[in-house]
Amino acid sequence: MKTNSLLLKVLLGAYLVVFFGYLLGPLIVMSFTAFNSPSFPKLTPWECLTFEWFDVLANDERILNGIENSIIIGIGTVILSVIMGLAGALMLTQIWPKLRATYYTIVIAPILIPGVVLGISTLVFWDRISIMLGMSTGGILHNGIFLTILGQSTFIASYCMLVFIARLQRFDTGLTEAALDLGATHVQAFRKILLPFMKPAIGSAAVLAFLASFENYNTTTFTFGKYPTLTIELAQKVRYGINPSISALAFIIIVLTVIGALAHEIYRRRQQLALANGAPVSAVAGSFQLPKILSGNPAAIILILLTLGGASTIWFAQSYSPDSCKMDVREQKRLIQEERIKAIREKRQLNIQQKQHQGPDVFGGSKSTAPATQSPGKGAFGNVFDPGNLDKSAPAPKPEKPVTSPGKGAFGDVFSPQNLDKAAPKED
Amino acid sequence: MKAAQLIRDYFVKNGLGLGSFLLVAVLFWVVILIVLPQLSMLDFSFRHHLPPPEMGGPKDTYTIEHYKYLVLGAPGADTSYNVVDLGVFGRTLLAAFFVTILDLVLCYPLAYYLGQSRGGGAIRILVLLLIIPYWINEILRAFAFRIIFGESGLINEMMLTMGLISDPVDFIRANVALYAGLGYAYILLMIFPIYNVIESLDRNQIEAARDMGASWWRIHWRVVIPYAKPGISSGCTMVFMLSAGALAAPQILGGPSSLWFTQIIYQWFNTGGNWPRGAAFAVVLLVACIIIVLSMMRLFKVKIGDIGK
Repeated sequence: MKTNSLLLKVLLGAYLVVFFGYLLGPLIVMSFTAFNSPSFPKLTPWECLTFEWFDVLANDERILNGIENSIIIGIGTVILSVIMGLAGALMLTQIWPKLRATYYTIVIAPILIPGVVLGISTLVFWDRISIMLGMSTGGILHNGIFLTILGQSTFIASYCMLVFIARLQRFDTGLTEAALDLGATHVQAFRKILLPFMKPAIGSAAVLAFLASFENYNTTTFTFGKYPTLTIELAQKVRYGINPSISALAFIIIVLTVIGALAHEIYRRRQQLALANGAPVSAVAGSFQLPKILSGNPAAIILILLTLGGASTIWFAQSYSPDSCKMDVREQKRLIQEERIKAIREKRQLNIQQKQHQGPDVFGGSKSTAPATQSPGKGAFGNVFDPGNLDKSAPAPKPEKPVTSPGKGAFGDVFSPQNLDKAAPKED
Repeated sequence: MKAAQLIRDYFVKNGLGLGSFLLVAVLFWVVILIVLPQLSMLDFSFRHHLPPPEMGGPKDTYTIEHYKYLVLGAPGADTSYNVVDLGVFGRTLLAAFFVTILDLVLCYPLAYYLGQSRGGGAIRILVLLLIIPYWINEILRAFAFRIIFGESGLINEMMLTMGLISDPVDFIRANVALYAGLGYAYILLMIFPIYNVIESLDRNQIEAARDMGASWWRIHWRVVIPYAKPGISSGCTMVFMLSAGALAAPQILGGPSSLWFTQIIYQWFNTGGNWPRGAAFAVVLLVACIIIVLSMMRLFKVKIGDIGK
């Protein structure tokens, strides 16, 4: 029994490792590629620690423009979908019971409808409307921002509605009735009773809506028109050529997400603490009691460590220059390439030797000893004029004439094995 | 009569201003954003492909040529059915089904573990770790898989250095990257519904079953899974619909020889320039997904109201 439970624990641990490895591994790998110097994002081989990709990212007009469009569309979507979601949730509590199931199916359907279909239907519908109204193709109904906001709100409002429904279930309608009995108007009751109660839900629905809008691709790709969002730009970059500046962007987004999530977690912890102590949240939030918060609050510890890490990274990035390392890598690559060239040349020479070997053999056996005795001598010659030796001598003049670095190729040509071989017989 | 009474009640309860505001907002959403665009897409899919000036003219009549095209192919083609598009369609649905099963198998144990362990800081952190990948852009997640599975990607380089393989394996062409990426993209939509349901399962039921001598798989089969069925079906529905309708992951991770049905739709809208045909294909995708999901729900006896909880 005991070994059994131990086995189970080991299995569970292994499973958790695999699962979270699958979940987080890709993100971690991607983050690290942002700091590697090769121009194709990869982790292996690790060449140089570099921050240049962040510079590349910061100077990328299209990305910056995409972020701007994304923010505009995000704000529009948040406003529209929070309003529609709230109205939809309130309507659900009041609608004729026989209609309720149908109504619920209709407003929940956009979550299940493929985003592609939503994008297409929005595009087609407003296109037809604008034709019906006789509007030109440049009109508002063809505007990418307008269409994208509508297309995204269609399903994001459903997410918001789900958040509101969950909160509304705990709402005591007696409160509104009491307010109305005491002479408040409907609008007053709504503003002073319901809205304050819904405030946390409105906050989380807004955040949810903004994030969903920011990362949406399927719907936006049909509706964006002349206003590509960040996601669209990213998709185009990823599809038609990758460089690590995308990893750098991913890294920034991941760090922001982690910080946001941890901050939220800390806030919730404090709230719970406050509730447990019977004090209002503001009391706990107001007083600064670091040690108590830190004890038994891993999220806070991680957040602080992250901030420290981030700050030190930024400091390091300012003082660190990867140039020397990059030179080293370039030098190493050059050496490897030279090795390869050398190998190829040797091979070629060997081939030529073999051919010459075979050449005299064809002419008969009487002379056959002569080439055999000659060939070691030729080999010695070959060694003297070995391209490897040349390469060793070649870099020597290089520093004197750095301008003629392409001339190295010319040099190499002059001393290339073929030419040498042509010269060698003459000297013979 | 009854309807009029209901409407009057509604305005008495909410007041005229607020009541009409709510009504307008809901009607705008339901009618203008949800229902009419879908109907207009359906209508559009039965139209001829015409240049804009001729729309609404005498040539603008109803036709089923686009649906015919999907089934039979271009007129005069050498095969009697549109093998390419239908094949892609079938493969998309099959692959989406496969991805759903993969996610379910991966998620169920974790959802059970999280749901049955009592709170605690460690569990909260695990849940946070689960949520974080979901807020990273879909494109970036697919991009990460390309870094890992690419020809000079992490896995190939590692296996090459360890000497397991002598030539890089083309994961992209073999669609391994695509399935891994799709499963990854929607994994959270599987785990949270199941987790939420299992969290509310009374532990005493499991204890009781164990005391009665049930083996662990029997406990799951007879107690946990029947209880978690709404969560499981809701998770499966969402993962299936979203994978079948995915566009980003297939575009980035898909092999050169394997298309996703959404990519064909995309092509008709962009490079193909035949909107009605794209709309017809989108309608087919939508209808097929709805039929599959409804029949699965019928099979497992769950209601649509359970979805989205």
